[in-house]
Amino acid sequence: MTILLSGGAKNGKSALAQDLVVRLASGGRRYYVATMIPVDGEDRERIRRHVEDREGLGFESIECGKNILSCLEGAEPEATFLLDSTTALLMNEMFTDNGAVDGTAGERCAAELVRFAAAVKHAVIVSDGIYSDAARYDEVTELYRRGLAYIDRELAQVCDTVVELAAGCQIIHKGELPT
Amino acid sequence: MVLIIGGAWQGKRDYAKTAYDLSEADICTCAGSEIDFSCRCIDRLEEFTLACVQEGIDPVAYFERNMSDWRDSILICQDISCGVVPMEARLRLWRNETGRLCQYLSARAERVSRVFCGLEQRLK
Repeated sequence: MTILLSGGAKNGKSALAQDLVVRLASGGRRYYVATMIPVDGEDRERIRRHVEDREGLGFESIECGKNILSCLEGAEPEATFLLDSTTALLMNEMFTDNGAVDGTAGERCAAELVRFAAAVKHAVIVSDGIYSDAARYDEVTELYRRGLAYIDRELAQVCDTVVELAAGCQIIHKGELPT
Repeated sequence: MVLIIGGAWQGKRDYAKTAYDLSEADICTCAGSEIDFSCRCIDRLEEFTLACVQEGIDPVAYFERNMSDWRDSILICQDISCGVVPMEARLRLWRNETGRLCQYLSARAERVSRVFCGLEQRLK
């Protein structure tokens, strides 16, 4: 089963994602695919908190900030994967080290994530809802928003279940959640 | 009348095309404070409200005056209501007027849909 989770910041996406993975794995192997490449103390602190949250849940971590399909190398496809998040993945793919912006990153990530979702038995994929504010963004930011939304829409088509979280409450847009 | 809302890039227009069997020719895209109501579907109402704000026009009053023109229309508006209060007065007013228009329209709609990741959530 594949599940896409989205919604605004601090609505309980990561906690629900962990809970769902534990349910889906039913004692089997579970991987945490970490997509954030830390750049400062704030990132490291955020990662530390997430690692702490996962303690005792039996996750094996795979660091994979780019080329998401590479996280499957050496991993057991029958396992359950938690991919958190498409947001960080697109950031890494679109904004390259040399300062250039890769305008094709959204489509590439979407295609790779669709392949990822098809390749694994169970996956919970976390994204972010960043589309409902009254702002006019610069071209590059808008390219990023458009790319991330494209990834979400492509994943929503192939995932069994699509859930939005608001204030910790679940809005199920497609399918159902595992019991 | 049908109102379709949703965040940016969520696939609102594509959803409308599929759900109501529309072609691009059936859709009018707002670009100023005048709306061409001859099309079955009016997209980007948020561009209309932004133009209204810039020109000092009341968008709800505009819709009230032209009620017979959109009674059977499919109206699409971006939900811009969920961010931080904008620093710029023009964008604050834009957010207020867009919200006011969406409430006015949703009260008169037969169906209100919210599109999330390309999927319809029926609100009314």
